[in-house]
Amino acid sequence: MNNTGLSIHINDGLRTLAHIDNFSFTMNKITFLFGESGIGKSMISKAVYGLLDPNELQIKINDKDYQNYLDLPVTRQIKQNGFFVFQEPSSHLNTLLKIEDQLNEGAIDQHLDEKTILQTLWDTTDDDTIKKIIGIYPRPYRPSGGEKQRILLAMAFKKINLMLQPSGSSSFSLFVFDEPTGSLDNHFRNLFLQLLFDKFSRKQFTSLFITHDYSIISRIMNHHQNMIDAIDFKELARSDSGKVTLNFFSPEQYLSWLKRIQKIPGRTDGIESPKSEVLRIHKHFRIYNREYSIYSDAGCNHSTDLIIHRGEMVYLKAGSGVGKTTMAKILMGLQPAEQVEFEIAGIKISEQSGPGVWKKSIWGKKMGMVFQHADEALNLETTVKESLDGLKNKKLRGEFLKSKLEELFEDKIDDEFLSKKVKYLSGGQKQRLNLVRTLALDVDLIILDEPLNGLDFISIQKTLDWLQEKQRAGKAFLIISHNEEIFENLIDSNRTYFLNFQ
Amino acid sequence: MNNLFKKIERRSASIYSQKDKFWLIVWFGILSLTLIWNILFLNKPALDLVIEGFLNTLYISALVVILSFILGWIIGLFVARFETSRFQILYFVLTFILNIIRSIPQIIGILLGYMGITYLITANILHNHWLIMTTMALIISLFIFNEVIDLIRERVNHFRKLDFYNAMKVCGISENRIINFDILWKNSRIHILNKLIAIFGSAIFLQCTIDFIISVGLSTQVSSVSLPTTLGSLLAKIDSKQDILAIGNTLMNPSYFSHIFFEHLQGVTVAFLIVFTLLAVYKISNGFAERNRL
Repeated sequence: MNNTGLSIHINDGLRTLAHIDNFSFTMNKITFLFGESGIGKSMISKAVYGLLDPNELQIKINDKDYQNYLDLPVTRQIKQNGFFVFQEPSSHLNTLLKIEDQLNEGAIDQHLDEKTILQTLWDTTDDDTIKKIIGIYPRPYRPSGGEKQRILLAMAFKKINLMLQPSGSSSFSLFVFDEPTGSLDNHFRNLFLQLLFDKFSRKQFTSLFITHDYSIISRIMNHHQNMIDAIDFKELARSDSGKVTLNFFSPEQYLSWLKRIQKIPGRTDGIESPKSEVLRIHKHFRIYNREYSIYSDAGCNHSTDLIIHRGEMVYLKAGSGVGKTTMAKILMGLQPAEQVEFEIAGIKISEQSGPGVWKKSIWGKKMGMVFQHADEALNLETTVKESLDGLKNKKLRGEFLKSKLEELFEDKIDDEFLSKKVKYLSGGQKQRLNLVRTLALDVDLIILDEPLNGLDFISIQKTLDWLQEKQRAGKAFLIISHNEEIFENLIDSNRTYFLNFQ
Repeated sequence: MNNLFKKIERRSASIYSQKDKFWLIVWFGILSLTLIWNILFLNKPALDLVIEGFLNTLYISALVVILSFILGWIIGLFVARFETSRFQILYFVLTFILNIIRSIPQIIGILLGYMGITYLITANILHNHWLIMTTMALIISLFIFNEVIDLIRERVNHFRKLDFYNAMKVCGISENRIINFDILWKNSRIHILNKLIAIFGSAIFLQCTIDFIISVGLSTQVSSVSLPTTLGSLLAKIDSKQDILAIGNTLMNPSYFSHIFFEHLQGVTVAFLIVFTLLAVYKISNGFAERNRL
């Protein structure tokens, strides 16, 4: 496997799900794998780890049947000695078994320093906090997504500890982390990275780290310089032939781009008048019997109204699960609040306002919203053209429609692309279509919930350039995103607000 | 030649694996054989009656499917829209009416409808053959279309919980388009088609049951003779009844078996057409659901 490209072809009987000729990773190194969503990172990794079912999918590895690959001693070693942290932690956890029991199942049924791992991942020395979390049966929202993710990471670290023991196996092992930080805020992500690198420093192992979070690069370059030689950054990209290729990704490319990002001043004339205000949210509101407040500082000491003017990009920050998306849905009239007050382009709204207000005056007229998961926000059964057909903007037809799409898609848009079903687009293409659909509207304000979800580095750059162009043209944006590093570089700190509850 | 055989073999295997298509072909094939057999061995007046009865049954059932679909879709839309509108009273009134219809057993409801048809015929208001059949279909539809509404409501409510419904709404896309095009047409038409296949089978079953019952006598002036001939009414004819009894006779007298297919063809054919068509529709519906992973 070392330095040797694996040719992997996965087909579900109807179409190719992933096809790559040069998949490789270096032994005893941590390989960070980037690439747009839907390109096949997880599927390829699962194929390498031996997790796919040869009866369900047609899989060839190096032109041989998958069963041959599964029967290889090295594949058996991978499964025996390694661990695979799934992207969706809920699918990994058994709802009929207490978490503490699941933490001690199979090969990890020993002590293996479990307490220290859990305390590190939760950044606590308090045993009770941990006991409360692991002493329960997993349910859809309990523990939270971030906590479930850390439980899986704890299992992986126990398996790593098993390998680190003097009696541990010396044969090949592979640890795959599939989007392990997707539900973690930067603080907990950094704790996890620190623990991973600490373990690696004790004994080198092979790891594949799938992520969309390019800011991990800055973290490593700034805080883990000693690890750089032990790390490869790679990116999966789609070639013209439809195959996927694996390329080295230069961290400098990302870091230098980050430095080059220029902020756009909020108002071109420098004067903020009430007339230019497109949104004003009163600083306090209440949902689910919780008192929420908006603050102007990260310490959450100074509460303030959230104000957005034309041509401004405002960043709303809060920890995972605090309620950023909920707040966006309240603004869009999709969720009721017990007490709220805001004004959208002159229209005053409170908890008393009926749903007709949004339908009559706001949706598609004053405000739009891009939902965070393109896969769920788009109708996958429609074609690209049909997904834009019902918009209020009647100009979106023929050549104009193509030119609008070309603003964000790298290729020339032709009729074949327009008649392609959304479900057959890659994850990145879906996200761009998701953005185009809302940004094609003639509205004053757009809420962008995780707008960079699923995009590769090139698409991220292109999307941000495009958003800035729209901003210059007078559109206002409210951004909700975990990509703190990127948006902190793009948006003035005085246009950043913080959300918290008491 | 070898290639031709291989091609035929591949094609046959492909059709066999798609059970709905396979059973559709089997249905047509067996119907054709039955027709040929009847042309050869059934007397002309009886043959004409069987063909008329079968075609009328299919016509009424097909019309039931179309009417249930139209009624179900339109009223289903009203229910879905009223459910989330400010005018909750309209939602309650409409669902109350639908629930009253639902509470009436289908056979009782259709029998009551047929009493209405009987009255219209005796009053000489309804006398056109096609109009009578259309009215029969409409009455059967009234007691079946709730199934289409239930499916439409289920599909709309399911998609309303997903992000794409809200994401489209906040883009200003009209709710009519989201429900009709995005939810029902793009994401539910296979489910609806499967439901319509099942309704086709139910319509044949209900029609035959009711026609058989009324053929015993619903009115002194109007009898099954006044209504268009269907498989159900044909089965109730004295000739057919005797033919069916002949099948029973073969249990005691097996040597009589060969006579059934030559001397008792009318009743045997009608009974076979009803049973085999219902079986084929059932298999087609199951195969369709399996092929489309419903």
